[in-house]
Amino acid sequence: MSNGNEAQTIDTPLGAEDIRALIRPDHVHRRAYADPQVFAMEQERIFGKLWIYVAHESQLKQPGDFIRTRLSKYEVLVTRHNDGQIYVLHNRCPHRGARLCMTEGGTSRTFSCPYHAWVFRPDGSLSSVPHPKSYPASFDIKDPQNHMQRVKNVQSYRGFVFANLSDNPPPLIEHLGPMTDVIDNLVDRAPDGEVEIADSSFSLEYSGNWKLHLENAADIFHPTFVHSSSVLPARKAPENASILDQDQTRAMLLANGFGFKEWEGIQLSGLDRGHTYMTNFYDQGVLANQKQNQDPVSVRYRAMLTEKLGKERADSILGMNRFNNIIYPNLIINAQYQQMRVTIPLSVDRTLVRVHCFRLKGAPDEIFHRAVRFLSNIGSPASMIFSDDVEMLERCQRGLATETGPWIDFSRGLDNDQTGTDGSVSGAASEMPMRVQFKAWLKHMTAEAA
Amino acid sequence: MLPYETLREIELFILKEARLLDEGQFEAWLDLYAPQGIYWMPSKPGQTDPLNVASIIYEDHAILAIRVQRLLEARALVLTPMPRTVHIVSNIEVLKGDATSTNFEVGAAFLCTELQGERQRIYAGRQIHHIAREDDSFRIRRKHVALMNCDGVHAPMTIPI
Repeated sequence: MSNGNEAQTIDTPLGAEDIRALIRPDHVHRRAYADPQVFAMEQERIFGKLWIYVAHESQLKQPGDFIRTRLSKYEVLVTRHNDGQIYVLHNRCPHRGARLCMTEGGTSRTFSCPYHAWVFRPDGSLSSVPHPKSYPASFDIKDPQNHMQRVKNVQSYRGFVFANLSDNPPPLIEHLGPMTDVIDNLVDRAPDGEVEIADSSFSLEYSGNWKLHLENAADIFHPTFVHSSSVLPARKAPENASILDQDQTRAMLLANGFGFKEWEGIQLSGLDRGHTYMTNFYDQGVLANQKQNQDPVSVRYRAMLTEKLGKERADSILGMNRFNNIIYPNLIINAQYQQMRVTIPLSVDRTLVRVHCFRLKGAPDEIFHRAVRFLSNIGSPASMIFSDDVEMLERCQRGLATETGPWIDFSRGLDNDQTGTDGSVSGAASEMPMRVQFKAWLKHMTAEAA
Repeated sequence: MLPYETLREIELFILKEARLLDEGQFEAWLDLYAPQGIYWMPSKPGQTDPLNVASIIYEDHAILAIRVQRLLEARALVLTPMPRTVHIVSNIEVLKGDATSTNFEVGAAFLCTELQGERQRIYAGRQIHHIAREDDSFRIRRKHVALMNCDGVHAPMTIPI
């Protein structure tokens, strides 16, 4: 007979010691992926404490423009107020708690609750209530308690808007650290020095923990195996047969087909804050290698950038060849292809991935068409590439959900990684990036409350 | 006015395309497409632009051929086990074309149920075929597949709809 103790045990919050016990230098316990309590802690201590990407300023051009997204366990609206300032607001009416905004985004000078018609401005302040005289004298329309709740910390870096739910976060720039390079590189590729997020994107959901996607994006060991089903048919396909895309799709599929020898040039980097990236990978096709490509569009684009910035600077920007730049905990940027992925945890075993691309302002339209094509090829639900990744993430979750053999292995490369001032570097075969991610994870999950 | 025989011929062609997919005859399916034929599944309702707006699939014969090989070689992890589908195509209407035409635009509604392992999914929407008469049959110049939830949250899709 139950005396209630079992339920109590389950509800006991995990302590720092419980979390430390899940991480070894070369292994991670399955509970890190499968335990709902660990997930709840991640929402508090990682997604509730770090700077999290919420929007791009090009989605918020005019006062009243807004988008709806998720921040930790909350649904939020990112808005531009009448004075031009950007706000992040909880999507909830303070009156009775109803969800306020039902659309993904748009333009609206007010948010009004359909239940009892409280009306809010884009900064969250309460603008009016119907039949005000029925409210008691103590009711103050200016009282912040009657406003849509604001997320206190909102900062932008070159158009990328981040929010932070903690009380006293370090400046965004400190969190980004050397990863500002990749945002700079994306923006600098635009001849007009500005990028615009495309208004089409994909939302993919998989049945697996959010960390699996992050690890997969930092993993250069798997493509040889996981993507052979698209590499082999692409190898057999004739060159330049498509009338649509200057062979871009075929080249993208081929780029995943490399042998152990071709790994030599790839370098993985891991930074202290959990950020990682790889250098000299995935550089085939018309959108890659803009420094050298001789197709007419690339030549025209390069000339435009050179005219604005001079040859040396343009070459340096176009020559940056870094793939899957992961800004911990959930933003992945590929500047060279004008692509971005946002990993949004929904539950311990459910994750949403939003895949976007950007327009380089001032670049030829065809450059944007190629970015859109890249987005479809790698981010569409029908992608011949990502669908096989998702399958593996889901299989991992299925296995990790069982109690069997609780430790999983991240030891590859442990003896050969080099640690420098900025972090670690390793060859392609190393699992260093995952170790770096878990080091950051452990730090945040066990941090003393401020 | 379109003669009944022509209408029936067109209907049977549209249904045959769906059947070949259900039977896993992907090469025969691709043969129904003209050499420059295009399969287009937009990502937004009412989308008219395949270049500036991303598509779930916007591929011509050459790229579709890679997709078909991937399905046939059955190496793709996401195809284990191989999904099974049943396409139901209904409400077929010839939107453009008459007794003298060699090109037709054909609209229809579809429902595709896909079973993979223990998981079953349903796709629904409307499709428009642009077909051209060739010998005693037709070739697809363009197939436009407007999924009802094209702008929704998706899991991986494998077999064309």
